Amino acid sequence: MQLLSGLSGGMLIYLIAVGLSLIFGTLRVLNLAHGAIYMLGAYLCVWLTSSFEQIPGMFWWAVLIGPILVALFGGLVEVVLLRRIYGWHFMYQFIITFGLILIISDLVRLLWGDGFHSINYPWPLKGAIKVAGGTFPLYNLFLVMAGVSIFFGLQALLHYTKLGKVIRGVTYNREIMSVLGENVPGIYTVVFMLGCWLGGLGGALATPLVTVTLGMDITVIIQSFIVVVIGGLGSLGGAFIGALILGLLDSFGIIFLPQLAIAFGFILMAAVLIVRPYGLMGKREYD
Amino acid sequence: MFAPMDSWENVNMTNKEQLKISSLTGFLHGFESYRWLWVATAVALLAAIPAFVDTSWVSLLCEVLILTVAASGLNLLIGYTGMISFGPAGLYAVGAYSMAVLIVKVGAPFGLAFIAGPVAATAVSLVIGWFCVRRTAVYFALLTLAFSQLIHTIFFKWYGLTGGDDGIVEILVPEFLFSIENYYYFALACTIVSLLVMWLIVNSPFGKALQVIRENRGRAEFIGINVRKYQLIIFTIQGFFLGVAGSLLCGFNHNVFPPIANWTESIHIIIACLLGGMFHFFGPFIGSIAFILLDRVVTNCTEYSSLVLGIIVVLLVLFFRGGIAGVFSEKLSDGRH
Repeated sequence: MQLLSGLSGGMLIYLIAVGLSLIFGTLRVLNLAHGAIYMLGAYLCVWLTSSFEQIPGMFWWAVLIGPILVALFGGLVEVVLLRRIYGWHFMYQFIITFGLILIISDLVRLLWGDGFHSINYPWPLKGAIKVAGGTFPLYNLFLVMAGVSIFFGLQALLHYTKLGKVIRGVTYNREIMSVLGENVPGIYTVVFMLGCWLGGLGGALATPLVTVTLGMDITVIIQSFIVVVIGGLGSLGGAFIGALILGLLDSFGIIFLPQLAIAFGFILMAAVLIVRPYGLMGKREYD
Repeated sequence: MFAPMDSWENVNMTNKEQLKISSLTGFLHGFESYRWLWVATAVALLAAIPAFVDTSWVSLLCEVLILTVAASGLNLLIGYTGMISFGPAGLYAVGAYSMAVLIVKVGAPFGLAFIAGPVAATAVSLVIGWFCVRRTAVYFALLTLAFSQLIHTIFFKWYGLTGGDDGIVEILVPEFLFSIENYYYFALACTIVSLLVMWLIVNSPFGKALQVIRENRGRAEFIGINVRKYQLIIFTIQGFFLGVAGSLLCGFNHNVFPPIANWTESIHIIIACLLGGMFHFFGPFIGSIAFILLDRVVTNCTEYSSLVLGIIVVLLVLFFRGGIAGVFSEKLSDGRH
């Protein structure tokens, strides 16, 4: 039971952290507003689900549509704003994306107010299955499967498709890819939208498990920071492993040492920093 | 030297910009040579102000002074060492909470508790700094932010000590600090002493070494500067000044609540640095005045203040990166070449 809840929690964190990591790897911009993107995904999902209740299985439609809307929003942000700041000192990128957090969270408040929202487990994943004396909620099982498939899907996308090869090429050397005739700014937009889609998806899938409210973004963004510090920024495998470790640590830690639950991620991060300062899967950084 | 050496800010300056700057230089040299006169005038003005304006303005000025100490402290990191910290609010809150806890829970005298704020913040920043300086650039910024949020969570959840959401209220201060005017003079004295110490630090050989680290870390290592050690020392020093600001805040408000440790507070301090110009010693002071006024106006005008503030921040970074003081003097040294 704890194993499952740890794994499914880890998968949700993975969806956020991998978007963050992907965007950083290619665009070299650390998007602090990624948590706000996640929140936007969650709000869109709740809003779509509750406004079209009469449609059966609306939750799944919301999971499908919400992240796409988030990705479109992300594309807009990239074209209007981020495109101006590539190659700037990262402090300015930080502050701009910080400004984005303020803007997005107030927009969310403007659109949906500052109440609390939650939705039920969607059909057909309401129940739980009992195996070997333990109960396993179906939704958590589904999350684990979804997370693993996204992980493999992303790896396949990056390694076996034309688009993926171009993305990796741009990550490696944007000048050469540009000379080879690739539309580098276009690839940047695509990668940013993909990252936002993943963040939005994380938000949408999280809605049955968490309370959707303002400020939900900060917890998640801090968790994904921990994950990327553990795993190494820009490393997708690192994000996966880091998220799993963090998820498991959180869910088991809360049984054994509930008082220290919030500190576990930090202790882990501190330990990784001492043993391997550049992250489990990260490469040495140069500055 | 009024401003630090040319900064990583304008590597891509065009000739036109340089021309514009050299025409400014004549004026600025005049400004430079009368530097102490300007400072004395500013101090005299600040000391005289309470006689002419009503209490609400004095209270606003108190907030400016507190923010000035915090932002100037942070500027030792950002402007002078080139280390971008995104978690000043955590240390600031450690200062405020230490003082509050000592007064309310332990019953310590005001003076002792006031000093305990900076001391506690120094100790905490030494520990946090030890982890943070192991990584550079983006990771450093992430780590400071993460640790700051950890502090926020601890203050929020440790109900027994900090009162959680309810905060700590009714913090007693000595009678002579009850009136806003008197507290203003107290804060002014603390601010002047803090700024003086910071001035001495940034103009000492140690301070120059920090600027070398900012300009080129590799070369700094090459000439025998132990970069991590220097970074840890300056991180601890900025923690001290953030603690001073925290103590001042605690004494000013007579209460502390968890939001002062939150990242929105961090961003306020960073914006004050940015708005004033972080390559200028008095930039954070000017930025604090500008930010407090801006914040008041925006909060009065609209319910969605962070939306407006966010847009202002974005525009500020896109078009006005040198800050107010930067317009005048950050480019001075480039003009001199």
